[in-house]
Parts: sequence; C-alpha cells; structure tokens
Amino acid sequence: MEDAVNATISEPLDIVKLSLGERVFMKMRGDRTITGTLHAYDAHMNVVLSNVEESIHIVDVNEDGIPQAPRVERRSLEMLFVRGDGVILLSPTQ
Amino acid sequence: MLIFSFFKTLTDQVITVELKNDLCITGTLKSVDQFLNIRLDGIRVEDPERHPHMLAVKNVFIRGSVVRYVRMAARAVDTTLLEDATRREAHNTGK
Amino acid sequence: MDALIPFTTSGSLVDLVDKKVLVVLRDGRKLTGVLRSYDQFANFLLESTVERLHYKFEYSDVDIGVLLIRGENVVALGEIDLIAEDNLPFVEIPLDEMRDKLAAQEKRRERDNIVKDKVLGSLGFVSDRHEGDAY
Repeated sequence: MEDAVNATISEPLDIVKLSLGERVFMKMRGDRTITGTLHAYDAHMNVVLSNVEESIHIVDVNEDGIPQAPRVERRSLEMLFVRGDGVILLSPTQ
Repeated sequence: MLIFSFFKTLTDQVITVELKNDLCITGTLKSVDQFLNIRLDGIRVEDPERHPHMLAVKNVFIRGSVVRYVRMAARAVDTTLLEDATRREAHNTGK
Repeated sequence: MDALIPFTTSGSLVDLVDKKVLVVLRDGRKLTGVLRSYDQFANFLLESTVERLHYKFEYSDVDIGVLLIRGENVVALGEIDLIAEDNLPFVEIPLDEMRDKLAAQEKRRERDNIVKDKVLGSLGFVSDRHEGDAY
C-alpha cells in the first residue's frame, strides 16, 4: 500500500502532475489567491490555468495613515499563464 | 521548454501581459525566447494615467522575470494537447 | 536556422537598434535614449540617455549620456513612436519641484505600505510590495 503511494508521489511536483485537468487552488505573492483548472506546468511551477477566479486582498489607507477594512477584489479570467516565481503554494481542491 | 513551446503557439495572437508592478500591456505576441522574454507589437496599456511614460510606446520587449501573468483567449489554447504535452515532458524529465 | 532567429532575445530586438527607446527599470526609473547594442541577457547600451521623472502628467528630464544597463534590472524596453511623443499632453516642470513632489509621494507610500503589511500580514500574506511597487 505504501509502495503504491510512493509510486505515484515521489517528489513534490508529482502532486501537480496528479492535478492535471483538475481544479487547483494557488496562493500567490502580491496578496492574491487563484483557483483554476490546471492544463500545464513545469519545474519552475509556471502553470497554465483555465476558468480562473482570482482574489486580490487590498487594504486602503486614508490620509491619516489609518487602514480601512480589508477588501477583496475578484476577477474571472478564461485562460491564464502564471509565472512560477510568484507562486507560494499549490493545492488540489477536493 | 514546454512553456516556451506553448508561448510559441500563441505567436500573432493578442495577449495581455500583467507585470509584477501591476502594469498590464495588451498587444500582439511577436516573439518569445527561452527566458520567456516577450515581444509585443501594437501595444495598449491599461490605466495609462498611472503609467504615463508608456503613452508613446508602440512596441515593447518585456523581460520574462518581471511577468506575473499572461492572459489570453481560451480559444487560443488546445487544452487537451497541452495536458498531453505536459505529461510527456514530466515523463521524460522525471526519473 | 533562419526559422529560429525570431525566438531568441537577439532575434526579437534587432529592429530596435538605433531607434529611440524607453527602458523601464525595476526601481521605477524611466530612461529614454538610442539603443546602440544589447545581448542575450537583455543588457542594453544606450546613447544620449535622459532620465525622465514623471508625476501624473508633469515631467522633468535629467541628462545622463552613454549608459550600460545590466539586464537583471530591466523591466521593459519600448520603441518610442516619435509622432505620438510630440502629441503627449505633458507639461515640463523644474527639476527641484519634481523632486519635492516625488519625495512627498514616496514618503506617503512608505508609510502606507507599513500599515498595509501589518493588516495583510495578520491575514497570512507575505509582504513583497516594497520592491514591487516602484516600477
């Protein structure tokens, strides 16, 4: 049983390989998260996703330097290449 | 190499390159190299008031390392082909 | 071999040599000059270089001359449309005035970034806007 698991996941990027064609969640630099369907990846964690939902977390600061309540800006993008150096984590969504 | 080849298939398509400084440049993809440096022709910048220096620029070379995203039309991409190529590349480079 | 040339750094930049270009650097600087040479690392050699400072639609120029730019600092290199350049709605202002405006803007940004980092850090986001914001 353990061998069967090891055969499929033997290095970190194997979890990305298993997610090809599936929905994934990614946490990104720049206060962003995205979910999308994974179609391609490489060793740098460059990825290509479709039907992407991106959330950008924004804090506005007023004249007096007081932060306003954090808000989330959402965007939908039909096809997106994401450069790997901005990726913090990738996780399959159930 | 896979992603480089992927971008080559997008040559002459209109794409939007979003940089890490939030600058978004839309234009026709003319060239891409192994570093994913991108050459766009006939460009338009989103939010020109924040980036007034780009107003007189018509063609641009973007260094790959400053790119955050590249947005493109879904019809520009054959996702089945792309997944197959990714599996093949993973198979060839891994173990 | 010919077919490969468009897919190299060199292949994509040949037609910009001896043209007036704008180079944007990672620290936010905008330089204009004539592109005389470059290589596969996107190192650029510019002649008659001018650094242009922008504040909204106002600008000031600083003469620099010949400049070799190391590729890793480059964000983008753009070809300037000389006709479009003449029709821009820009107003030149004195350099001192420009520096004061930019310093005030930078001070505000630094203060705001500290506040933003604190709030977003508590939500589990890593701070990286210090280098990313400028260019």
